[in-house]
Amino acid sequence: MTELLQALIFGVLTGGVYALMATGLTLTFGVMKIVNMAQGALLILSAYLCWTLWSHLGIDPLLGSLIVTVPLAALGILIYRYVVERVQRHDHGLTIVVTFAVALVAEALIALTWGPNPTATTPAYFNQAFKLGSLTIPRAQLYAFLLAVAVTALLQLGLKRTWLGHAITAAAENPEGARLIGIQPKRIGTWIFAIATATTAFGGAALSFLYQFTPDSQDTWIGLTLSVVILGGLGSVPGAFAAGVLLGLAESVTTTYISVRWSEAVPTILILLVLLIRPQGLFTLAARQDAAT
Amino acid sequence: MNRQSRHRLPALAALAALAVLAVATVTALAACGSAGSTGAAPASGPITIGMSLPMTGPVADVSKSGYQGYELWASQVNAAGGLLGRQVKLDMLDDGFDPNQTAADYTRLISQDHVSLLLGTFSSLLNAPASAVAARQGMLYVEPSGGAATLFTRGFSDLFFAQPGTTTSLPDQFVAWLAGLPGSQRPATAAYVTQDDPSASPAVAVFRTKLQALGVKTVYYQVYDPSTTNFDSIAAAIAHTQPQMIIQGAVADDGAQFVRSLQKLNYNPKILFQTNAPTDEAYPSAIGGANSADGVFTAQSWSSTATYPGNTDFVAAYTKKFGAPPTEDAANSYTAGQVLQAAVKAVGSLDQTALANWLHGHPVSTIVGPLKWDKAGDPEGTLLLSQWQHGTLQVVAPSSAATTKTVLLSKPAWGNG
Repeated sequence: MTELLQALIFGVLTGGVYALMATGLTLTFGVMKIVNMAQGALLILSAYLCWTLWSHLGIDPLLGSLIVTVPLAALGILIYRYVVERVQRHDHGLTIVVTFAVALVAEALIALTWGPNPTATTPAYFNQAFKLGSLTIPRAQLYAFLLAVAVTALLQLGLKRTWLGHAITAAAENPEGARLIGIQPKRIGTWIFAIATATTAFGGAALSFLYQFTPDSQDTWIGLTLSVVILGGLGSVPGAFAAGVLLGLAESVTTTYISVRWSEAVPTILILLVLLIRPQGLFTLAARQDAAT
Repeated sequence: MNRQSRHRLPALAALAALAVLAVATVTALAACGSAGSTGAAPASGPITIGMSLPMTGPVADVSKSGYQGYELWASQVNAAGGLLGRQVKLDMLDDGFDPNQTAADYTRLISQDHVSLLLGTFSSLLNAPASAVAARQGMLYVEPSGGAATLFTRGFSDLFFAQPGTTTSLPDQFVAWLAGLPGSQRPATAAYVTQDDPSASPAVAVFRTKLQALGVKTVYYQVYDPSTTNFDSIAAAIAHTQPQMIIQGAVADDGAQFVRSLQKLNYNPKILFQTNAPTDEAYPSAIGGANSADGVFTAQSWSSTATYPGNTDFVAAYTKKFGAPPTEDAANSYTAGQVLQAAVKAVGSLDQTALANWLHGHPVSTIVGPLKWDKAGDPEGTLLLSQWQHGTLQVVAPSSAATTKTVLLSKPAWGNG
């Protein structure tokens, strides 16, 4: 029983982190239908920026992530205005290619700046754990999970309670209707990219103290974040969170009771099942879009 | 059969004939290339030595220092008058850590670049195809890395491993040390976790067999894919079984990743042995500083403090040339160069068969100690047993190479970051 509970705790905590890392992609993919292939590279860039603040100035990665949101948001605006938006005007499908190109350039620049060696932050809590009877709750993972809950809640609140949130939702549900009431797609796109890349800073901070990373680590994370978004349903922030937790649980239970080798296949199997049974994802805007048309 | 199908048939037949012709032409050209390959190496001018290294890709950081070891060796040989009175020139290709590219590169080095000699690449994964190409072309192949036992069971007579031991003998010193402890101090239980890699998983299998024979009970055994990056669940499963000792067959940064997962759980085994990873430059900082590594055991092929002839000079020359102390990979490639140099000097020619025959019959003095090989090119020695102590990786066995007499019997608690 202890083993099962421990596996469940690990699954939930790890899944929260997956969701945190996928938040930015949820917005760009779900609302703008743009598969931002640079999401993995932006995560790694955030992790390196958090590492730099931690190693040179002693700023804790959790605090550092707040600082990193500013340059990341600016970078998001630049990527959208000067790359994505220009390509999107000609061919929406090409945005996947151009964001992949951005990812490759970013990886090269990260390697030139920080070198190829594995890196990680090691704040005081990275190797500490809370004990709950015979159960262990790693502090680092718990903090990352709480950060994921906070970011998800704030984003959801922003989408539901602010004018910008309503505009984003309107643009997602009915782009033509939104245009008719004065919502400018370019302006909304800029905001979405700024928010999406800014939230990536939190995922990067968690990554920096939970795992080692190198410039090419983006390959690992882009696949996982895409899985979370597809499972959760396009554009649904709570859906992405639920999907992340589901993935984390599946991985953890599979590793504990079957084999670690099968846990690698779990995201793919889950995606296949969800696409077959509920193609719109677990929580999605697509259903509402269908209903509206 | 409709009209469209009937029209397609002659076209398909023509395409098939074209494909057969193309394959036949390529095969004939390849045969011509290999027939004249080794004989085409120039008999005067510099001696070109070919190698393909993973200078880009996941192990690029390791390969850079490995290539620097080759560069230092070549520059020292040239400064001393060269090989057979001829200067040495390195012809290095980049394979990006792709075994297929490695095989293609060595084929090119032999057939197109007409190199006179070969030196090996890094990892068993790449040395396996590279040494097969060399064997097919009748070329001597001295490899700085690639200690998987499977490499030496293929019947090649021109393959030589430039380290004191392979994966099969990797556990020897550790098991001997453990066997020498009083029964009360030996761990009773062990967990084994290893990457599915020819240089790691066979060594862990040997560990398990030998330690079980000593009475150490196996409580966990897991093989993971090379792509595994998250070890949290594995660490949790291991912590649940509460082993006193953990043996990990790590290859690169999976060693530090696994330790970080143990640290997150605050699980501290009495003994932790990891292959490869603890010798990495980035290992201590990745797990929270050098003191966090204290007590961790590993096997090494080389130590900067070993007193073998030429080692001190190698460390000094490398540090002067590249501005940083040499890594184990740099030492291994330098050693491969030393082996090649000794054979060429003794034989007095570049006859590949004569060079291989000489190496089978004679020991070679190197910076990793004297090397001697069996008929498969498997070195007849063992690796060094090392342990992190007070922020330094110390050699603890064999006693002839030990840099300290102290061995930490219980790993201290993980340090704070």
